Amino acid sequence: MEMKRRIGFIERGTEFLKLKRDHLAKELTTSIDILKGRRGRLLEELRVAYRAVTAAYISLGPTEVQSQAKSIKSRLELEVLPRSVMGVRYPYIKVEKQPKITGELDITLSEAAEKVLSVLDDILQLAEYESRAERIADELGKTNRKVNALENTIIPSYRGIIKFIEDKLDEESLEELVRMKLIGGALARRRE
Amino acid sequence: MADLLTPEQMRTLAQQETLEGFVEQLAGTSYGRISTETDGDVSLALEKVFYQKFIERMMGIVDLAPTNIGDFLQSYYYLRFEAINLKRIIRGKYSGLPTSQIIESLIPITPYRVESYEEIVGAETFQDAVRRLEGTQYEPLVSSLELSEKYDALWPVEIALNYLSARVVFKSLERLPQSDRGLVRRIVQAEADVENFLVAAKQRSAREKAHSPEEMFPTTYGISLDMLREAIEADDLTAVIQGLNPPYNEILTPLYEGDVALIRSRLRQHVYDIARRGRAANDFGFNVIMAYLVFSEIEKDDLVGIAWGKTQGIAAEDILKYLAIPN
Repeated sequence: MEMKRRIGFIERGTEFLKLKRDHLAKELTTSIDILKGRRGRLLEELRVAYRAVTAAYISLGPTEVQSQAKSIKSRLELEVLPRSVMGVRYPYIKVEKQPKITGELDITLSEAAEKVLSVLDDILQLAEYESRAERIADELGKTNRKVNALENTIIPSYRGIIKFIEDKLDEESLEELVRMKLIGGALARRRE
Repeated sequence: MADLLTPEQMRTLAQQETLEGFVEQLAGTSYGRISTETDGDVSLALEKVFYQKFIERMMGIVDLAPTNIGDFLQSYYYLRFEAINLKRIIRGKYSGLPTSQIIESLIPITPYRVESYEEIVGAETFQDAVRRLEGTQYEPLVSSLELSEKYDALWPVEIALNYLSARVVFKSLERLPQSDRGLVRRIVQAEADVENFLVAAKQRSAREKAHSPEEMFPTTYGISLDMLREAIEADDLTAVIQGLNPPYNEILTPLYEGDVALIRSRLRQHVYDIARRGRAANDFGFNVIMAYLVFSEIEKDDLVGIAWGKTQGIAAEDILKYLAIPN
């Protein structure tokens, strides 16, 4: 009875794990679809931003670029917070403060800085999605292994044990019945 | 002129695959073999080498030239470099950079109109650094602090410094005979006009907090204050640029595509042409000396760009696009 109660619990757990697996697979597919589109777009935007930074360096010289860039007081401030989907924790990046490109920069550098800034949000979002997809994929693998182990090894082995016990009990009760019949027969013959 | 690099040599330098190739190729020129061994950033070290080479050339000319020309050239170049150094010091103080980093970023010249750069760098704040210029030729900068505090920005000090330098250059032109002044005047005016227009173009993106054009452009030359105002207010710069006189309408064309760096490259080419034409008009005296120094300075700027590009592994065509001499 205890074994039957336990296998009922394991089967319910397996169903939950299957639900989790399906949900994670759905989340992973969505994340991958988003990543595919964004990565291509981001690479192109990065190329444009990098070309602008290169042009600024060649035009102004590295010392001037660094001197001007360091005069920007307002820096990017981030906070990395935990988020969770189906118990899978992944980092969520919260932008606390965007750097402000004020009048301190030369226009060449200011254009380059604006291009880099416009890509920055996308880079952060992409990093978040990549980390999320990576962790979901990892958890999906683990969940899948658990479901397979439960479905293919643990549940069948429990069922085997239960069947063995049931067979044994049936056998014993049959033996008991035969024994009772024999005893009953012997008692009846003695009475005659 | 013989020790200047030809456009072909400059192109070959830009086309080298690596920094080592660039240094090797440069060794065969008047620059000789330069060392790339440094504890810090190689491109910054090379930039210093090219500045030093230019300053050596300039000082060589100053020593040999007649006194009036020598005085003017020293004043012209030293003032410009000192203005750059002062901007770097003020920016460094504004953003709280360590003293050593600020000093490291300075152009290697001896102080010209100030006692010592270290003394200014030693100031507590950028306002204090500007106030330490009291009693020098840069004293008018102190009054720009009020505007700087009003906008919580450095641009009023930088603009004041630009105009002060331009004014002093024009003043020092008086040391030259009337016939020699045109070349320098054309160069300074072209540079100031393009810089003014670029500042106006930049103001467009921040129009809601646009500063008064009169405050921003105390002096204008070929591009008038009205045109600059029009540039700030226009939705589309194309018509404004097309309405400018040559060469500005051509120099500023890359603004349509947002390639501002190309404007600087075109401006350098224009300055190169002014010097070339000045030299062609009078192949003796001041124009030749000035043309040599203009070519030499543009060469320095191009070499700095190539050296940085080579340290970063930038493709030759991406570097060549922004050079003045090979184009």
